[in-house]
Amino acid sequence: MNHAYQTYTGGVQFNVPDSSPEIEQLQQSYRARLAGALGQSRPVAGVTSNTAPWELLCAAGYFPVLLSPANGPAPFAAPYMEAGFDGRTRSIFDRLLSGEWSFLHTVVIPRTSEQEHKLFLYLREVARQEPSRKLPRTLLFNLLHAQSAEARTYGLSRTRELWKALGPASMEELAKAIADGNAARGALRALLRLRADRLSGAEALPLLGAYYFMDRADYARLAVRAADIMAARPAIPGPRVMIKGSMLDHPHLHRAIEGHGAVVAAEDDWWGSRAAGQDVSTELGPLEAVFLKYYEDAPSPRVFPASVADAWFLETASTVAGVVFYISPDDDVRGWDYPRQRSALDARGIPHLLLREDPAGGDVPPECHDRIEEFTTRLKG
Amino acid sequence: MAERQLQCTTAAAEFQKAWFAGLRQDVFERKKPYAIAQADMPLELFQVMDVPVVSNQWWSAIVSAKRLSGYYLDLMNAAGYHEGLCRYCSLSLASTMGGDPAKAPWGGLPKPAMLGARLTCDCIQRVFSLYAETFGSEFVALDAPGAEQLPPRWWELSRHRWEELFEDHRLDFMVAQFERLIQALERLTGNGFDEARLRTLMEGVNRQEEILEEVRELICAAPRTPVRMHEQISNVMAAQWVRGSEWAISHARAFRDEVKARVEQGVAACPSERMRLMWVGAGLWHDTDFYTAFEERFGAVFVWSMYLAFGPDGYIRYGLDNPLRALASRTVSMNEQLHNPPWANEWIVDQARRHRIDAALILRPLGTKPSDTGNRFIERALEEAGIPVLPIFADMVDARSWDAAAMRGKVAQFLESVEARCT
Ligand code: SF4
Ligand code: SF4
Repeated sequence: MNHAYQTYTGGVQFNVPDSSPEIEQLQQSYRARLAGALGQSRPVAGVTSNTAPWELLCAAGYFPVLLSPANGPAPFAAPYMEAGFDGRTRSIFDRLLSGEWSFLHTVVIPRTSEQEHKLFLYLREVARQEPSRKLPRTLLFNLLHAQSAEARTYGLSRTRELWKALGPASMEELAKAIADGNAARGALRALLRLRADRLSGAEALPLLGAYYFMDRADYARLAVRAADIMAARPAIPGPRVMIKGSMLDHPHLHRAIEGHGAVVAAEDDWWGSRAAGQDVSTELGPLEAVFLKYYEDAPSPRVFPASVADAWFLETASTVAGVVFYISPDDDVRGWDYPRQRSALDARGIPHLLLREDPAGGDVPPECHDRIEEFTTRLKG
Repeated sequence: MAERQLQCTTAAAEFQKAWFAGLRQDVFERKKPYAIAQADMPLELFQVMDVPVVSNQWWSAIVSAKRLSGYYLDLMNAAGYHEGLCRYCSLSLASTMGGDPAKAPWGGLPKPAMLGARLTCDCIQRVFSLYAETFGSEFVALDAPGAEQLPPRWWELSRHRWEELFEDHRLDFMVAQFERLIQALERLTGNGFDEARLRTLMEGVNRQEEILEEVRELICAAPRTPVRMHEQISNVMAAQWVRGSEWAISHARAFRDEVKARVEQGVAACPSERMRLMWVGAGLWHDTDFYTAFEERFGAVFVWSMYLAFGPDGYIRYGLDNPLRALASRTVSMNEQLHNPPWANEWIVDQARRHRIDAALILRPLGTKPSDTGNRFIERALEEAGIPVLPIFADMVDARSWDAAAMRGKVAQFLESVEARCT
């Protein structure tokens, strides 16, 4: 059976075979994004990226949800925010100022990119200057990503402070949240394993991305079932490629590449292959275990040094036929990595292609398709 | 380049040139170590360990002033680094990645023994890692937690109440990182760190900034500004890069004395001064003549930039029992103080009032996107304070897209409107 659905960016139709109520529900959550949090009885805590410690928020009684609006005009942000901000940060700021997200009780912003710190400062300032504006409480989680003894000690202490700031919560609740989070990670990994041969990238992204918008116990249940259903499918032919570079919160580029007969088997992106990582350890004290998960095992543009930041990429690159670099038009960070990573692939004999065009509107331009066709043909040969 | 009105400015330029020539000689002939560091690093620690430091932004400004930015940035783009990447802190790197060595300003940067940066923007760990790889030098990175608490009117707290202003957890963390940096400097030099020497240097920095504060007050109070903004910058920054040293203090004194004498004699930088302008943001290093281009027609003089004004407010620290912690407090929030809300907008409006500013030009560095933050808040705050604002969309170091004539025309139009408002 074919199931057509509309993406949250609107207008574009995808076909996903082998549908089931579980798969549909995951797709629905991915599409609905924040809307899924509207009916929650718990206070809703918006988070701005993958490194906000979901377990702490959940244990403290919140329903955590990723803030991930579609990029587009941002009239509420425009008076305060400069054009150099990336579309995602600008859209988050815009929706918060618009009042559309007034159901949010709290926003937790990890210091996972410089733009997020600026977002925190901007929100704070608008709240100070315009006290009548209804804005959620905003917390900065000062999680650093340099691998140093000092950053580690500091991050652990900031994790403890965040735990306090979130309000009274028990260690039992935290243990339960860790268990739920780990179950969801297990389910993510089950889906990720299918990307070796059964699940295309365009199909996988919504199923994986739903993780950021749902209760994690629910996610685990649905995703395990989805993985079981998908496992029974025939293998998908085509050379395996990985996408590397700017974050993609939609499957358009995957679909464009897969339209040329390749299969996107991985992306170095927390929206896809890097969503799960390892479980939160149950051997350590819970706060320390949660901190280490987000400090050591979560991708961020600030992971330093490069050898640590590149480790997953280089290991995974050796399992695919080629790599597509996608560096977004508004990029000012990933472009510094590209020549180094390109050379590493050259040294290993792994073919690669660079794309700069933005597929967020639904598709890449025709000249991009020509280049993708040429690349996939080369991989097939 | 506009004429120099102050003898001090010539002395500052000569000092910097001679200092750099001496550095090259020390490195090449005596194999002495030196470092390249971001401007917001604790340069004082390098000084007390006898490791001279070249500020990365200073070198960018030199390359840009020599009109070489286009040449080097083209080379960097050709190596695969796309054109949208920020240039301010990467131009020095670009100037070391290739090109004709004969073109390099003042003979070029020799190999540093160490590179140091605070990890502020996300790009900088990358830029400095590349730098380190290019030179084969060690890179010491200090991570940068974001400010969480930002009480109002920081400049009234920063001198005496810095402990409460900059948050204990960030100060503790910065001190711990300083200790790692000190260990690296000890390994490099074979010398031990001497806390008393740091305290003495910090006292020297206080003295220097107190003198610069006198200059700032002279400019605020004089009927017409006695010293042009770009000459303020040359004098102040020559001293700031070696702050607290004997030369820096005596140069600050000479600068103050010369400015004071001009005020006493009624000498104005622009005798026909009718409009006092503020420049918000980093300098326009590739076209410093821009800063005097509106004097003749409009009597419009640039009076204020952050470079002099930030010295006293940003650097003075009283209570030096723990000089390392005081130094951490100077380092930890520079970006918030100068560029981000609420601190930057609040401070700049206060400065504008004290300097009797009539209009402000705000650099909006489009080619340096990550550093174009906080500027809308600054624009709004100035406008609310009744000060007209013109955003200048340009890059501080990259002249490739700068149309000097068109930009002067645009500013002239703006100044006409300011004039019309005033009459
Ligand atoms: S100003 Fe630009 S070059 Fe400098 S650290 Fe920020 S992004 Fe990087
Ligand atoms: S904080 Fe601003 S002035 Fe200071 S070094 Fe950075 S860009 Fe330059």
